[in-house]
Amino acid sequence: MSEVKDGLFKTTSRRAVIAGIGAGTGLIAMPWVARAQGETIRIGFPTPLTGAFAAEARDQVKSAELAVKLINDKGGVAGRKVELLVRDDKLNAGEAATRTLELIEKDKVHAIVGALSSAVQLAVNEVTRARGVIYVSISQSDTINEVKDFSRFTFHEALNPHMTTAAVAKHTFKPGSKVAYLVADYAYGHEMLRGFKRAQAAIGAQSVGEILHPFGAADYSTFMPRLRSMRPDILCICNFGRDQANAIKQAVDFGMKQQMKIVVPVLLHNQRLAIGPDAFEGVVGGANYYWGLERTIASAKSFNDAFRAANGGAVPTDYGAYGFTGVYSLLLAMQAAGGTETDKVAKALEGLKYDIAKGPQSYRACDHQSVQSVLVLESKKKTDMKSDMDLFNVLVEEAGSEAALRSCAELGFPA
Amino acid sequence: MAVETPLRQIRHAAGTGAGQASRLKAAFTRWRVPLCVVALCLLPWILPSKALAVNVLIYGIYAVGYNLLFGYTGLLSFGHAAFFGAGAYVTGIAIAHFGLPWYAAVATGILVAGLLALVIGALSIRTRGIYFSMVTLALSQLVYYTALQASSWTGGENGLRGFTVGRLDLAGLSVDFLDPVNKYYVIMLFAAAALWFVSRILNSPFGAVIEAIRENEVRARACGYDVERTKLIAFVLSGLICGLAGTLSALHLAIVPLDTLHYNTSGLVVMMTLLGGAGSFFGPFVGALVFLLVEDVASLWTSHWQIIVGSMFILCVLFLPKGIWGTFIAWRTGR
Repeated sequence: MSEVKDGLFKTTSRRAVIAGIGAGTGLIAMPWVARAQGETIRIGFPTPLTGAFAAEARDQVKSAELAVKLINDKGGVAGRKVELLVRDDKLNAGEAATRTLELIEKDKVHAIVGALSSAVQLAVNEVTRARGVIYVSISQSDTINEVKDFSRFTFHEALNPHMTTAAVAKHTFKPGSKVAYLVADYAYGHEMLRGFKRAQAAIGAQSVGEILHPFGAADYSTFMPRLRSMRPDILCICNFGRDQANAIKQAVDFGMKQQMKIVVPVLLHNQRLAIGPDAFEGVVGGANYYWGLERTIASAKSFNDAFRAANGGAVPTDYGAYGFTGVYSLLLAMQAAGGTETDKVAKALEGLKYDIAKGPQSYRACDHQSVQSVLVLESKKKTDMKSDMDLFNVLVEEAGSEAALRSCAELGFPA
Repeated sequence: MAVETPLRQIRHAAGTGAGQASRLKAAFTRWRVPLCVVALCLLPWILPSKALAVNVLIYGIYAVGYNLLFGYTGLLSFGHAAFFGAGAYVTGIAIAHFGLPWYAAVATGILVAGLLALVIGALSIRTRGIYFSMVTLALSQLVYYTALQASSWTGGENGLRGFTVGRLDLAGLSVDFLDPVNKYYVIMLFAAAALWFVSRILNSPFGAVIEAIRENEVRARACGYDVERTKLIAFVLSGLICGLAGTLSALHLAIVPLDTLHYNTSGLVVMMTLLGGAGSFFGPFVGALVFLLVEDVASLWTSHWQIIVGSMFILCVLFLPKGIWGTFIAWRTGR
């Protein structure tokens, strides 16, 4: 078992070990040295920089940083500078909970904004709720609105599946339409499916079948013949990120579009860019934001301009915009509250009327869901595109109203 | 391969006339649990955050439990996430659905993980090598899909929530469990108990038998030991300790994500054990520490942290085949 090593090798490795330990200790001590003592307002921002939603997460970080920069340029909040602490939650609920604990316990953040997957945001919510920390969630979820997960300090800035699917179904489903569903087999897919089925029942369309596919699947070829044999008028693809791009591309390769219309709950800017106009042509889906809103909405114009200036002419994306609206609305509330005291900030958020990127928004009193417009977009034909960034037609801008949400009683709140 | 087992050490000491190295080693072995606990006491003040330190404890216990089976008995299980996850889910369910006090929930979690280990162990220990790994993997996948389907109990894909423990009450004492320092030292008490328990097992005749099985199963059988029963007991003990790690993870994070049962969690403990040194007493703890620390710090620097973690693992496998702690012990004791 004992190996014969020459002396040189043994000394080097010993030195290397000591050097390594030294470097490691220095490295570990660094965050303490660097910790700011001043009056800075710190916002924690966990987001999945690695994993399947990394492209969306990077856009969120850019937009969130822009919100912080704009506020700091105006002199900060109540005279205090704002700092954004971005952490990689790795699209993993346990990791996100640990990161959130670190942000609260070590970095002493004044609020948390972020998380992109619904399981992850529920984990973050559990941690912030127990410690009475403000959390602005920017990922779609119906669960977080329900009374079981409600916290006085949690605000849901993103749309929820119920709002998204209702708006999309209203403009694509007709009485008697036959709808087939291809659904990612995890919380997001299930919630979107539930939303569509509810809207479908109200409209009088009918379901001809549904297929669940595993999260992160690359190959959809086995599902396409089965979906085609259902003979639907509408194929509704309920998945997210790269899954959406792959599923739509393969559906088009199978010639599905000649026979049916493809509808998605959320039409993603990044995935459309990744796959190109031909596959996406004519696909209809919902969105919280599209940069083209700048033609009609002044706040969208100023958000886009600021974003272009900060990012070399690039335009903000849909999920990226959540980073902006989430952080900016929180900072507005802190401004109104005159500081970071949790109770005052929560009160200020409840009363906040804001228009910072997409027209008027406000938080509903019972569940803290942001009441806001839902866009229904259609992907443009290649020949209709005026520039590389000209991706979608805005078919409808469904104005924000509490009627579009599930009622407080349905969510379990006392009347 | 064995680095610091009492039987060998006595033999070694007698054979060489008790050199200085052996005496040092003897002292190391005798005081290993107190030494480990002292090291753990300092941990939260060295690491970048208390939350990370608690995770090191939890995954350290998980790896120590796993090492009992992998490092000492020589069985490469690829399904230990089932016991970690069972501990976590049962603890969470006991509090969220049945309103049990925390200590009862912890006990139930450990117990159910042990029962599950008895079932999975009984079904798998008669196979060997890669077949054993595959059977444990398959059975743990069954547990994963059960938890996914039973979403009214487990929360399915969204994970189990709603059992945050804010205060720990026991025998008139009450501790604020949301305070990170309190949380660390409470969980450290469990870690110390687990380390003592494992040390005790390894020092017993039973510990010598499992090592004998690892070294030469045929010979152990020829010596009259009941190999199957011994393996099964080792499997159950390992499952109990991994279950403890799971229950503590549930208390710490106040959620149980479905990922807890994923085969990645099984792979993680294999990597941590190898990194620290399989078959050394404190190695798995060191493995958990190094792995989590590098991941934590590297992901603050760059979103390409996986390259750093991956290269570190490759380098360790190439140049430190006994693992970090195993190599250190071998070097200190001149073996």
